[in-house]
Amino acid sequence: MKTEMPLSKPIRRLIRHTEETLGTEISLLRNPESEPGGSLIDVYTYDIDKNVIIFPAQYIGLLKDFIIAKHCTHLLIKGAAAKKSKYLVCSYDAESVFRGMRQIYYDALKDEAKKENKLPVKKLIQMLFILYNHFHEDVNDLPWNPITNASVYYRMPQIRKTQLYHIMKESKGDMDEMMEQENIVPRRYFVLNKAMFYARDMFLANTLPADELKPVINIPQMKKFNHLEVKEMLTTRWTHTAWYQSKVFGDSMLEIVDGHLHVIQWTEKPTLDYYHDLYKVGVNLTNHLLSYMTMKDWFIWESPAHLLEAHQKKSEYEKAALKRIFGDLIADTIEDE
Amino acid sequence: MNDMPVKEAVELLKKGRAYAQRTKYREALAYYTKALSIDPNNPEGWVLRASVLIDTGKIAEALADCDRALALNPQHAEAWSKKSLALYNLEKYQEALAASTRAVALNGNDAAAWYIKGVCLDELGKSEEAQEAFGKSLELEIILDMEAEKRKMARK
Repeated sequence: MKTEMPLSKPIRRLIRHTEETLGTEISLLRNPESEPGGSLIDVYTYDIDKNVIIFPAQYIGLLKDFIIAKHCTHLLIKGAAAKKSKYLVCSYDAESVFRGMRQIYYDALKDEAKKENKLPVKKLIQMLFILYNHFHEDVNDLPWNPITNASVYYRMPQIRKTQLYHIMKESKGDMDEMMEQENIVPRRYFVLNKAMFYARDMFLANTLPADELKPVINIPQMKKFNHLEVKEMLTTRWTHTAWYQSKVFGDSMLEIVDGHLHVIQWTEKPTLDYYHDLYKVGVNLTNHLLSYMTMKDWFIWESPAHLLEAHQKKSEYEKAALKRIFGDLIADTIEDE
Repeated sequence: MNDMPVKEAVELLKKGRAYAQRTKYREALAYYTKALSIDPNNPEGWVLRASVLIDTGKIAEALADCDRALALNPQHAEAWSKKSLALYNLEKYQEALAASTRAVALNGNDAAAWYIKGVCLDELGKSEEAQEAFGKSLELEIILDMEAEKRKMARK
């Protein structure tokens, strides 16, 4: 790595360690358009020569260091998987898209039957793939988040305050997600989406002592469940709200996350084998969460190249799935468009 | 001598800055150099060019530009800040520390200078003092980030 940016000692050490462990090169790129959490363009996912960590141009100090630390850790996990076995990601194909969209459609129909203000059919059709894709992105990202965060927390105590700020910011963004669509998205998916983030935040709040991360404090709609007795919860109207259900599902998901991550010795010698173990834990955690959400057949573990190709074909997959779900009627509508 | 920056040069610096913000360094450098040929007495121009020179790895040239700026105005906080960055890149940690200390004395809200100060202190084995400087830098970075976030929300 060669850079003119100032970097703190622990970050330089981590970059060197990553490059040496994986036998690869990392370059850093400031970008005014970057997402707040930065991004990683890596040789294990894309057909490129060296890895690039991109972060917002305005991050000049420790905020930049934390983003680098997080992405280096994820790069180590990906690289270890590629070197020790095979690096796979959750991908999709025509068949899995069909299964996912069909399930969403059935759930949407159940919800719509109870609604007074029905969703226009066109909107409902559009929502199917959008929601499917949304969950695809979340399952490819969310399980790795507590793993990389916990690893950075234990290995780099110097940047804990920075990490806390980042996580709070990220958590707020994720909690706001889908809020505007609460009445459009089938209840089940709204609940599961919130529950996933709830579980992640609760895990991080327990791992990185940060009370502010707890969703029952962060989310106004969830505050009322903070000190509610179990009996009270079960016997009141709260049980019927999406937020109550998010908490219940979120608590179960937290058990799943805890169950998989408690076996990790976060301060163990950071060898290739160690990072490969983290990869395996991440894959198992993803599978377990998918099972819990009954989405196991929605996605397939495939190479990153397969996923890139799937992205290219996604509108083709969406159209094919719609034809299979709705038959010729929708086929004519798609052709017209 | 007229101390007012030449208007044409100021316009060129603005254009250069717009390119630099989009990391189009070659174009930025061309505008800055042209501006300096018109008005070499504006320290701002030297500092802006120094910043791009650092980003493109031309550290010795950047240091020379910082010194030109400081010769024109020894109280130019940003010139000290960029000088500290150039010296850090040359691994002259003691000198970089002195320059960053001067920068934060002139402008206590310079998050980058606090950060370089922290990095240099750490390099020189003064980790406790380094943590203090890093803390100050983080505090400022968070304030800036929150302000940027607010602006983003207002635009939405």
